[in-house]
Amino acid sequence: MSGLECRVQYPLAQYELVVDLSVKPGVTVLLGPNGAGKSSLLRLLAGLSKPRAGRIKLGHRLLFDAHKKIDLPPEQRRIGMVFQDLALFPHLSVRQNTAFGLSLRRVAKAKINLHVDAMLDKLGISQLAERSVTTLSGGERQKVALARTLITDPELLLLDEPTAALDPAARGAIRRWLHAILGELQIPTLLVTHDAEEVAWFRKRVAVIEKGQIVQRGSYHQLLREPQSDFVARFAGINLINGELREQGNEKTFISSGGSQLQGIFDGVLPGPATLAVAPWEVALFTVPPGGSPQNVIPGRVIERIVLGDRVRVTLLAAEKLVAEISLNAWLQMGEFGEGTELYAVFKTREARVMNT
Amino acid sequence: MNRPRLFSLVLAAAGLLLALLILLPIIALLLAGSPGTLLPLMLRSEVQQALWITLLSSLLALPPIFLLGLPAAYGLSRINGKLRRILETLLELPMVMPPIVAGLALLLAFGRRGLVGGLLADIGLRIPFSLLAVVIAILFVVTPYFVRRCTLLFDGVNPKLEDAALLLGASPFQAFMRISLPLVRRGLAAEAIMAIAQGIGLFGTIILFAGNLPGHTQTLSLAIYTAFESDPQQAFSLGALLLLISLLLLTAVKWIAPQEAVQ
Repeated sequence: MSGLECRVQYPLAQYELVVDLSVKPGVTVLLGPNGAGKSSLLRLLAGLSKPRAGRIKLGHRLLFDAHKKIDLPPEQRRIGMVFQDLALFPHLSVRQNTAFGLSLRRVAKAKINLHVDAMLDKLGISQLAERSVTTLSGGERQKVALARTLITDPELLLLDEPTAALDPAARGAIRRWLHAILGELQIPTLLVTHDAEEVAWFRKRVAVIEKGQIVQRGSYHQLLREPQSDFVARFAGINLINGELREQGNEKTFISSGGSQLQGIFDGVLPGPATLAVAPWEVALFTVPPGGSPQNVIPGRVIERIVLGDRVRVTLLAAEKLVAEISLNAWLQMGEFGEGTELYAVFKTREARVMNT
Repeated sequence: MNRPRLFSLVLAAAGLLLALLILLPIIALLLAGSPGTLLPLMLRSEVQQALWITLLSSLLALPPIFLLGLPAAYGLSRINGKLRRILETLLELPMVMPPIVAGLALLLAFGRRGLVGGLLADIGLRIPFSLLAVVIAILFVVTPYFVRRCTLLFDGVNPKLEDAALLLGASPFQAFMRISLPLVRRGLAAEAIMAIAQGIGLFGTIILFAGNLPGHTQTLSLAIYTAFESDPQQAFSLGALLLLISLLLLTAVKWIAPQEAVQ
């Protein structure tokens, strides 16, 4: 019941932001390339910019309605936002930063202190309370920013690229921490990112935004299986083969720019320039060409082999470059082949999705 | 690193000449006003009066400078584009106005026969040739500079900090009072001293609009002008005194002003 429903339009420099989005309790990831309009959308929701048209509803409260001329200022929206650069108040200590929201609300000082202590404790940063925020590490600053926001009891939480500013070493730990904290809260949360790894942590609900529009929605799994745009496919490490679709009578064939003839799912695809997408884990490797059911077979030479835990990622150079991901066992059984080995990459027709480009 | 040697020499020579140009007159003036001549001077009542009026008028001008200038500076730093350029040009008008002309303009506005002089007279206010005129002259000349520099201070505050404050429930006024203002407090203190220093040095505008009445509107600058006509030695000593005060204020500004820009 207490989610966000929004439908907004807002002119950006290159295109118009037109977004129809709902955010339920829990984390929804908004994934998109730089410049897709992610941050602009957050500013619209927060009331820091004004949509040209549309409606924003949070729970039963109307925050913005162009027709009814309703436009609540940010301080009345009860939306918590953690900025990409965190925007901690540099002249205040961790305690004062965290207490800021409550100190505006005529809450007794003793009570504020209790609340602040409880929040810092909950986020595991009690020991930082009296420190100046300018002396903290990136991860610590991230935690203070979240503490400062959560203490105001927001009805919607907006996180703008929460780990982008961190160094890679701290990123993993903060992601795990964020995942644990947010999982506990069940506040409707919109987490903006352009990082595929972040999506893997919050994989239940993902919306993809490109050029100001939501182009795909679903679980992380669905996204990987059925990427509906270049961007989604690319971030997932999916093989994209450029070529064109040819039609002879009732027969459709995909001809790659390298000359391979491939079969795939051609539903609704028109003859002409097209791209074939196949996930690395759908590509099997053989030392001799297999016979049997209709499959795509591409011979090639191994140019890279990386062992990732119980998976092995193999890059094959054929008419085009193809990445396969096989199990460690399969690799061991194939005699632990290395770079330079000649192999056959095989994938099923129904695993190859073709889209017009 | 491989800078042409001759060019470096030219730069150094120009710098040296400039330093001499600045330092020579200052040293000359300080030599003229030895402690031996300064002390008896300080005991004379007309000098004490001039000193008192100088400091009083500058201090009295400070609250209105802040009251008018601070909101203007903050407002200006929060807008962009054409409107900002127009308003900034308006601010620059008094800056490019010759001080004498500014004095004339003030007379024509607030004088007995000025634009609003009659109105002011009706409510019993006679501004020209009063301490109030000195304060208004300072206000007119100094406030634009003050606004200009304070705008830069506020420009240096990351607007995201205010956005964050709003989202935590602060009204725009609260965000200003609790975030932006504290962040520029050192810079503002330095600007206050700067405004006092500027007010102390004012001459042309005051002498035209407020007159040169000892004990009423005669500031140190005007006293120096008067003394120079009858007793140059006294003028030099007073000049040294005024210079010392300015140096003191400059030191205070350097000490208070933030060493690095506000984040």
